[in-house]
Amino acid sequence: MKKNASKAQSKAHTNRRASEASIPTKSSGNGARRNGNRGGQYPLRSNPHGIPDYRLEVPNVRTVEEWVDSEFRYKVEGDLSSEPPPLRESKYLNREQSIDIYRYMLLNRKMEQTLENLFKQQKVVGGVYLGLGQEGCSCASAYALREGDWIGPMIRNQGALLVRGFKPRDVMMQYMAKSGAPTGGRDAGSHFGDKHKRHIAAPISMLGDLIPVLAGVALGARLQGKNIACLTWVGDGGQSTGPTYEGFNFAAVQKLGVILIVENNLWAYSTPVDRQVACRDLADRAIGYGVPGFIVDGTDPNQVYDVTYEAAQRAYAGEGATLIEAKMMRMRGHAMHDAAAYVPKPYFEYWKKRDPIARMEKYLLDKRWLTEKQNNELIDSVQKQIDEDREFADASPYPDGATAEERVFCDNGAKIPFLYGQPRVRKVEKQKLGAASDVAHFR
Amino acid sequence: MAPVTYLEAIREGIWEEMERDPAVFCIGEDIGVYGGAFKVTEGFIHHFGSERVIDTPIAEAAIVSAAFGASLTGMRPVAEFQFMDFISCAHNQIVNMVAKANYRWNAPAPLVLRGPSGGGVSGGPFHSQNPETYYAHTPGLKVICPATARDAKGLIKAAIRDNNPCLFFEHKFLYRRIKEELPSKDYTVEIGRARTHREGRDVSVITYAAMVYVAQEAADILAKEGIELEIVDLRTVAPLDKDAIASTVKKTNRVIILHEDTKTGGIAGEIAAIINELAFDDLDAPISRIASLDTPVPFSPPLEKFFLPKVEDVVREARRLKAY
Repeated sequence: MKKNASKAQSKAHTNRRASEASIPTKSSGNGARRNGNRGGQYPLRSNPHGIPDYRLEVPNVRTVEEWVDSEFRYKVEGDLSSEPPPLRESKYLNREQSIDIYRYMLLNRKMEQTLENLFKQQKVVGGVYLGLGQEGCSCASAYALREGDWIGPMIRNQGALLVRGFKPRDVMMQYMAKSGAPTGGRDAGSHFGDKHKRHIAAPISMLGDLIPVLAGVALGARLQGKNIACLTWVGDGGQSTGPTYEGFNFAAVQKLGVILIVENNLWAYSTPVDRQVACRDLADRAIGYGVPGFIVDGTDPNQVYDVTYEAAQRAYAGEGATLIEAKMMRMRGHAMHDAAAYVPKPYFEYWKKRDPIARMEKYLLDKRWLTEKQNNELIDSVQKQIDEDREFADASPYPDGATAEERVFCDNGAKIPFLYGQPRVRKVEKQKLGAASDVAHFR
Repeated sequence: MAPVTYLEAIREGIWEEMERDPAVFCIGEDIGVYGGAFKVTEGFIHHFGSERVIDTPIAEAAIVSAAFGASLTGMRPVAEFQFMDFISCAHNQIVNMVAKANYRWNAPAPLVLRGPSGGGVSGGPFHSQNPETYYAHTPGLKVICPATARDAKGLIKAAIRDNNPCLFFEHKFLYRRIKEELPSKDYTVEIGRARTHREGRDVSVITYAAMVYVAQEAADILAKEGIELEIVDLRTVAPLDKDAIASTVKKTNRVIILHEDTKTGGIAGEIAAIINELAFDDLDAPISRIASLDTPVPFSPPLEKFFLPKVEDVVREARRLKAY
């Protein structure tokens, strides 16, 4: 995380005790009674299972099947005609931080546009996965953490990598399989991490698998005397996997500070969420795990930030895991090759009006936190950085083939340090191990 | 020093490492108050506390992943599978998340995944398997299968100190059946180095884990007819000690590869290929493989007895190779 950003954050949050970030109870949480206030402080309603919902609008739609002229297709059932509301106010973010998040979102968007161009120029090896429409969720949630916390990003969270200090050139070199890429060409796209400095766990392609890993990171940190927040994301598709359940349940049982953001972007490759799960809100699963759950609008960075920030405070206080469902839509296909022709058009029309960057821009301009001129300068400076990084990545070499054999194992001479200090061990008298009792499952 | 069982040797190894290094902790199912299904960690929770002896939900994928996550912070977890058969529940986490981490993103995974494997106890198809070769096939993993109490202790300590993911297959048949005196001082056994269990000049038996004792019984029988078996205990199936494999073949020129895992795709095929590459000209007879049948591990004692490699198999093959 950028130094000035974290400084600004700590300033803004001085004297805020973790207990203030308490879970809204049923009575206090039902903000419907709170006059439709647009402030970010209260959830405006709860869903039928009591899960606090921070959204300003709750579209009541489903994806259903239909047969037209012997063709199977999906269509929208319900009304998607409403105009988007403005963003909610954040309880925590100041001007500087909001602009910072906006800048990361722009960087994220423009980096991915550049990746698309590089793909079309055949300079990318393999596919490109875009987080179009999800930049606000990735960037604002990652921004809510502090130094020492971990993230475990998935393919549509490239903005989070930028927030945590990777540069667009790093991501570009990954996609272009260059030797200067964080994995040196050993893995593709957003499949990279950084253990020591940025505290990012590298994803694997199998979904949900980072959830138990991040629980383990939080466990390791706790053994070293520190409660940290470990943020990871999973899609509406990815959350169907076994490791999602195993991992998040483990985090819940052990009261580990895992923040799981379920990015419900309506489509898992070509499968609509209505074919993924039978429930309306994925945040309902929080009840079964026994952890606090929340629903936010994934295209509203302020909602995402506030709820993630409060989840992080609970993590630091040792109060355990949080599940956040962020609702939005994946605005492109699964990867570049996929035209997403299976998505009914009204979805695109509805969510295009809720583009997180356009909403954030309008918010900042309306609030006069940015002037038109400052905004244009900001956009230009982001574009300049992207252009420089693209040139750098394009000009950098491929790895030497013979390095493929290196680093299968870690040298045993290498010292593996504790990230958070010497583990705290129980002080006990040195004692001799007694013999095991003569009981065995099989003989 | 009094002789110590294979089980106690492993217990001592883990206990001593936990006392020596605060990075080491245990995680698994029923390892705390109960002390594990075979009592490997019995008493540990009273000494080290529930922070370092962690009972988990029944969730092998989460156990392996959480161990990996903790290792990212510099911890050295020792995770127990109640039976090594359940390693399949965490296969993806082991072969994709853990094994590839150092290669992909420079994240060493100093963790140990251990538990009882092997048959001969009528455990049936899900409590008797020898799944080591699945993992020997995956680059980035070390796969350890000790046959003696001394090695079990020395190797578990070496595995805990190793900077890489180590899979430690304990043989449950050996847990309380073998005993020996152990060195009184702290010691480790090098991972990847085989051991000559018995010297001989006529026929080599390359083997590991409980099959070492099948070979030993065969050697006693054959010795009476003047056939000397040399028994090489591999100790680890990944990495394989290629030098030890080649040198015993060069010495005896006749070789049997014996393992309890099933035959097709078992490590014997790999060892035969290594012999082909390194010592083909030294062979005076075809390479012989003895392994379990290509079936699930059956439950009923007569079925399992028929399934497992037998002393008579080794005797028969050694005679055949000697006469070849």
